[in-house]
Formats: sequence, C-alpha cells, structure tokens
Amino acid sequence: MRHYEVVFLVHPDQSEQVPAMIERYRSGIESKGGAIHRLEDWGRRQLAYPINKIHKAHYVLMNIECDGEALSELESAFRFNDAVLRNMVIRREEAITEVSHLAKSQDEDESSSRKRDDDDDDDDDESSDSDDSTEGEAEQSKELTED
Amino acid sequence: MARFFRRKKYCRFTAEGITEIDYKDLNLLKAYVSESGKIVPSRITGTKAKYQRQLATAIKRARFLALLPYTDQH
Repeated sequence: MRHYEVVFLVHPDQSEQVPAMIERYRSGIESKGGAIHRLEDWGRRQLAYPINKIHKAHYVLMNIECDGEALSELESAFRFNDAVLRNMVIRREEAITEVSHLAKSQDEDESSSRKRDDDDDDDDDESSDSDDSTEGEAEQSKELTED
Repeated sequence: MARFFRRKKYCRFTAEGITEIDYKDLNLLKAYVSESGKIVPSRITGTKAKYQRQLATAIKRARFLALLPYTDQH
C-alpha cells in the first residue's frame, strides 16, 4: 500500500454534492483496505486563471493510503464525473496528517471575517441571484418610465 | 564610478531549515515568482540548486491547480 496526496476541483454549482462525493470515495477506498489520513475541504476558492470559463472552484484535499487498484478506481471516478474540473495525484512517502498551509491561512481569514460570514452566509447565493433579477426588473421598469 | 552596494544573497531554505517545499504554501511560493508569473532564477534569489528544483516543481503543481497563475495575461 502506498501513500498518495489527491487534490480535486469541483464545479462550484455542484458544491453541495461534495460531501456525498467524499463519502463515496471514502467507502471505495476503505472497502479495498485503504485509509484516509487527512481530509481537507478548502471550500470555494477563486481560481488563478479560468478553467472551462469558470472562475471559482471547490477544492478538496485528501491524503490516502491505498493500493493501485483503489487508486485507478478513484482516478476513473474523477474522469467520468463531469463535476470534477481537475484533479492531481502525487505519491507521498508517508501519511501526512498535519493541517496544510492553505487550510491554515484560510482558517485565519475566516476567523477574522467570521462574524460577517455568519450573517450572510446562508442567503449568499440565492440573494445574489435574486438581486440580479430584481436589478434587471428595476432597470426594465426605469426604461418603461422613461419611455 | 558609482558602485552599487549589493546585499549578500542567501538561500532562505538552507537558512531556515526548510527541508521540503510544499506546493500548498502559497505565501512562500509567491515570493519566488515574478509579477508576470515567471519563476525567478536562482542566480537572482540565491536559492541553492537543490531547493530551486523543489521550488520549480512546487510552483508548477500550484499552477496546474490554479493556485498560481501561469502568466499575468489570463
């Protein structure tokens, strides 16, 4: 059994499915006698450059120990899942369990802006959508009045 | 003749005892890419060859995962 580090990027619209996906991969790995040593959900991050015309993606990091069979299964699962934008698998020498730099720095960011997040976290997506529509309507009504 | 005083270059990784450069450590990697996103050569930064190689792979991995840009023209 070997140690691997896996990172994959999920389409932001499919963000809700991430816990289910992780659970599926976990059961796939553990049924073959593997283990997950570290699991980090970095959440939705701004991409440094657009991939498939998408500017944000949901990042997940996994440090796993498994055999080649389980890994190839995982890779084919990535390949045939349209929600996975990109994935990277690196061989590691040992199990890494400490919190990664990225997750650490993100935690700091979050704790500094935690209060703000809590207030508008839940209705963030919906409100932004509805905002757009209302703005559009407002504009339309303006145009109408001008006419 | 105007002579510039040049500060001694030193390898940060040897000095700080960092043995492995992680592609997830963006704050560190950002110090070794230019404004246009290129990897800064070790003759400028003074990084030892061993760490420059590690640094290059780390930056390339971070680029693939869209953690760092390939260029500033994206």
